[in-house]
Amino acid sequence: MLSEDGVEKRHGPPGVNSRSLSAVHSAADLEVLREIEHVYFSAPSEFDAGRYVLEHAPVPPTCETIEQMFIKLKRQQQVVSGKALHLISQQRDNCDKQFAEIQTIRENLSSTLKTCQEARNHLRTASNHLTISTFVILANFRKRQIIKSVLKSLELLRSLRSVENDVAELLTRKEYYDAINLILKSRKAAANHKEYTCIADLAARLQDTLDMTEEKLDSVLSQICYNFDESIFRKLRKAYNLLGKTQAAMEQLHMHYSSAVNEASIKAVKNNLDTAIDAKFQELCQAVPARKAPACLLNLCENLFLIMKSYYLLVEWHNKFDIDDDKASSKVLDIERNVSREYIRQKLKAGLLRIWSDVQAKVSTFLKSIGVEDYPFEKFIQMLGVLRRLTQVAEVFCGDKSDLLQDFIQTQSVLYIKNYHRGRMEELKLFLENEGWEQCPVKSTFNLLNLQEFKQFKKYLTVLRSDTTVINSKHSDGTSSAHSQDESVYIMKYFTQKTSHTPFEIFRNENLTNDDIFGVETEVVSEESDDEPDELRRDYVDENERHESCENQSPAKIKNSVIVTNTTLSVLRNCGQYLQICRYLPQISLEVVMLMNQLFDYYFYTVHLFFACDLEVASTTLYTIKLTAVLKRMSNSIAALDSGYSERSFPSPESPVHLDMASEANLHGLSERIVAVESVIFLAKQYEMLQPYIESIVEPHQRLILEHFRDNTLQIVPDLRMPVYMCSASKSLDARTALIAMSQVKWDVKNVAVEHSPYVDMIIRKIQVFALRLENISAKVSLNLEVLQSVWAMVSKFIVHLLVEGFSNATKCSNGGRGLMQLDYRQLFVKLEKISGLKPIPYQEYVDRYVKAYYLPRKGLEEFVCERTEYSNKHLLALVTCACENKRDRQALIALVEGRDGTA
Amino acid sequence: MSETYEYLFKFLVIGSAGTGKSSLLNNFIGNKFKEDRCHTIGVEFGSKIVNIGGKSTKLQIWDTAGQERFRSVTRSYYRGAAGALLVYDVTSRDSFNALANWLRDARTLASPNIVILLVGNKKDLEESREVTFTEASQFAQENELMFLETSAKTGENVEEAFLKCSKTILAKIETGELDPERIGSGIQYGTGTSKRLSAPKKPVRTPSDCACRV
Repeated sequence: MLSEDGVEKRHGPPGVNSRSLSAVHSAADLEVLREIEHVYFSAPSEFDAGRYVLEHAPVPPTCETIEQMFIKLKRQQQVVSGKALHLISQQRDNCDKQFAEIQTIRENLSSTLKTCQEARNHLRTASNHLTISTFVILANFRKRQIIKSVLKSLELLRSLRSVENDVAELLTRKEYYDAINLILKSRKAAANHKEYTCIADLAARLQDTLDMTEEKLDSVLSQICYNFDESIFRKLRKAYNLLGKTQAAMEQLHMHYSSAVNEASIKAVKNNLDTAIDAKFQELCQAVPARKAPACLLNLCENLFLIMKSYYLLVEWHNKFDIDDDKASSKVLDIERNVSREYIRQKLKAGLLRIWSDVQAKVSTFLKSIGVEDYPFEKFIQMLGVLRRLTQVAEVFCGDKSDLLQDFIQTQSVLYIKNYHRGRMEELKLFLENEGWEQCPVKSTFNLLNLQEFKQFKKYLTVLRSDTTVINSKHSDGTSSAHSQDESVYIMKYFTQKTSHTPFEIFRNENLTNDDIFGVETEVVSEESDDEPDELRRDYVDENERHESCENQSPAKIKNSVIVTNTTLSVLRNCGQYLQICRYLPQISLEVVMLMNQLFDYYFYTVHLFFACDLEVASTTLYTIKLTAVLKRMSNSIAALDSGYSERSFPSPESPVHLDMASEANLHGLSERIVAVESVIFLAKQYEMLQPYIESIVEPHQRLILEHFRDNTLQIVPDLRMPVYMCSASKSLDARTALIAMSQVKWDVKNVAVEHSPYVDMIIRKIQVFALRLENISAKVSLNLEVLQSVWAMVSKFIVHLLVEGFSNATKCSNGGRGLMQLDYRQLFVKLEKISGLKPIPYQEYVDRYVKAYYLPRKGLEEFVCERTEYSNKHLLALVTCACENKRDRQALIALVEGRDGTA
Repeated sequence: MSETYEYLFKFLVIGSAGTGKSSLLNNFIGNKFKEDRCHTIGVEFGSKIVNIGGKSTKLQIWDTAGQERFRSVTRSYYRGAAGALLVYDVTSRDSFNALANWLRDARTLASPNIVILLVGNKKDLEESREVTFTEASQFAQENELMFLETSAKTGENVEEAFLKCSKTILAKIETGELDPERIGSGIQYGTGTSKRLSAPKKPVRTPSDCACRV
């Protein structure tokens, strides 16, 4: 373009307006323009026009050509200049316009620049201002943040300061877990804020709080011993878990249980002391006044039971809930937990036995200290009941059969029974010494079942008599296994948390019967009382019977007279008591029964002592072998009067001074003798009645002892009649005068007399008097036929002996004399038969045989002498002397008699 | 029971049937009162050691049946009694009227010196009272008896009755009016007797084991 501009400028005349020219020249101009070589339009830096023209100057350089060329070039230059001028003028407005525009733009630009500069300046100031405030803001913000955190810390600190109170409150609300949690969190928080100086102090306080809280937990834990509360324990356990001290807590808890046993025992004993003292348990026990001991034992057992119950519930709880408590945990933890849990379980299991043995030890110590044997029966039974209940509790508690306590109970029971028995024996002695041996007016159908003491045994005894075996099995089954099962269920009820009752409560009941205590069935009573209410209420005594029977009925008609004394009844009552004891102490049944038998022995012995001691005739034929044996046995166990008490023997009763045993008018106390002997016989019958029952309550291998007692003591009691009744018979018939009268009879008469001798009448008179007096006695005492017969039997026994004695006094005797003898005693027996009602007269063959031996040939006499040991040597010698006329024979026989004596 | 006592007194409880003799005794020796008791058969027995004026004394008490038909049985126990409670029932005129007979029996059969305390039992049954306190006191005065009204049910005056009677016996021993050594006095020296009261005729028994456990 530049080049074009240059061309144009050369063409147009400088400063001439080319417009008019252009139109004229335009066509030619265009032609010229077209002829211009292109090369001229090149930029002057690359093209040198002068040179180019020179180079292209026409050859040969003529002026013409040069002129021509000049013109041409001139022309071209004119055209180009014109043209350029034209173009320039043509563009001038545009240029001006443009220039103006440029000018405006220039102005705009400068104003813009100015604005920009201003803006910049403004911005600069603004930016300066902004930066500073931002920093302030940030700083403030940070400060705020810091203050906030400080505030938080302070709040925390404040809360930490109030932790003690909060914990205390939580503890009172029994939120142990939360309390521990709070403390632990607080501790952690405190540890995070060590930078505060107060924290050290606070941390110490927190530690104190923790310690105190743990102590509190411990004390709550110790309370668990007295009353296991599942909810509390659960909380406690959670808390300990949090503390990581579950196992330690269990150890601690066991220690608490141990000390709880101790404390509860001491508390129970202390409550029953008259004056408060501080001493060891054993000393405390010894200080318990006797009257309070049963209540104290009850207290003790109750207190101990609560602890056992608590422990039992604890174990139960562990068995039940511990397993599903925390299932979601890692395996490693699980194993660890399991080990710990297993440890605790073992610990708990062992704890049961340990606590029970602690309890046993306490109770044993108590019992040993107070000396159980000195208590009245009721109290003893009650205490025994408490102990029995305790053993039942133990069985539920730890399955222990409590051998220790059982043994203790057994030995104490034996001790007690022996002591109790001693009391009864002393009482019996007293009764016997004061006994008037009057017949106690009871119904003729009376037996021990009418006594209240036997009410409970009525069922057993009445049925037993008819069918022993059935009851035996029923009895033993009924009480042992089935019963104990019921009992354990019963005891079990008290081992639940809900009840605040103890199985010992029943002992507080005033109207408690022993049956209640021992859980022995009592249905018997109600059943029987419906049956025979009258009999029991009227106390087995018949108002009128006695008088009627004695006055209207002759003695011989009385069949079922019951002769008992006051003492008999008292012995029977004691038997009832003893059997009751057996019911409660089945394990020592045999001992008790043996002691019961001793009562009988003592009674038996005393009757013999009192009423046969004045026997004046030879006793050999009056005492059966068994009777002698039994009396010997008894006297061994009954000490001489002054030797006092010992373990096995009892003092013999003192002979009564108030009994008149010498008066002939009352047949030398025959009435008392009869009452005494018959009462022993009655007593023996009652004992026999008890035998099947007793056999059912002792061990099978012990029955032999009972059988022995029955066969060798009870059944031989009627044998006592002989020596005792003989006393009266012998005294009343006055042997001396009779013998004197007999000695006056001449036995060497030739003819057989027709009249009996006068001594017979004399004896008969005596017998008649005896009969009359006996009649008097039967007004007082209801004598039955058996009694009468045995009395008369003794009379006749005495008479036959008297006769033999009298006959043997005859040194000389003829056939006629022998006949008279027969006549005499026949006459006597006929009369005796009439008076006594005995038929035939017993023992008559004693005299009969003796008298008739007179007629025996020598050989027969020899046999008689050898075999008849019931006759004394004196009798036989007299017989031989009278019967043997041959001197040599006589001497041989005498030698035989005397030889018999030697060998005997 | 191992027991030590200085004296042993034989006591009787006599009176008509149903006057509550056994209940009195049972109350005294510490048994429960039973509303519906059976009649006593023959004689029952109870003993208790009491402390009278610092002396432990054993009372050996024979509780006799009141019913007429037991008279012959009970009589033999009268012998040698040192004291007696003669019991009537304040609600039964008959039992009061029978007192003279009982008294005669006691004085003749037991001992003329027997110390007798008249006991009007069942004083709790005030509404059915038939015998006034005054007339009973008068009877007691006339017959030189001590007198108390008791209730075996409530226990009122029961112990007092026995103690009062025992105190009188003891006082009589101390004044020499009663001689424990005499046979049939109803008084015996016990195991713990030191025999300070009368000149010892028997060798003094050593007081055995004086640590009283009761």
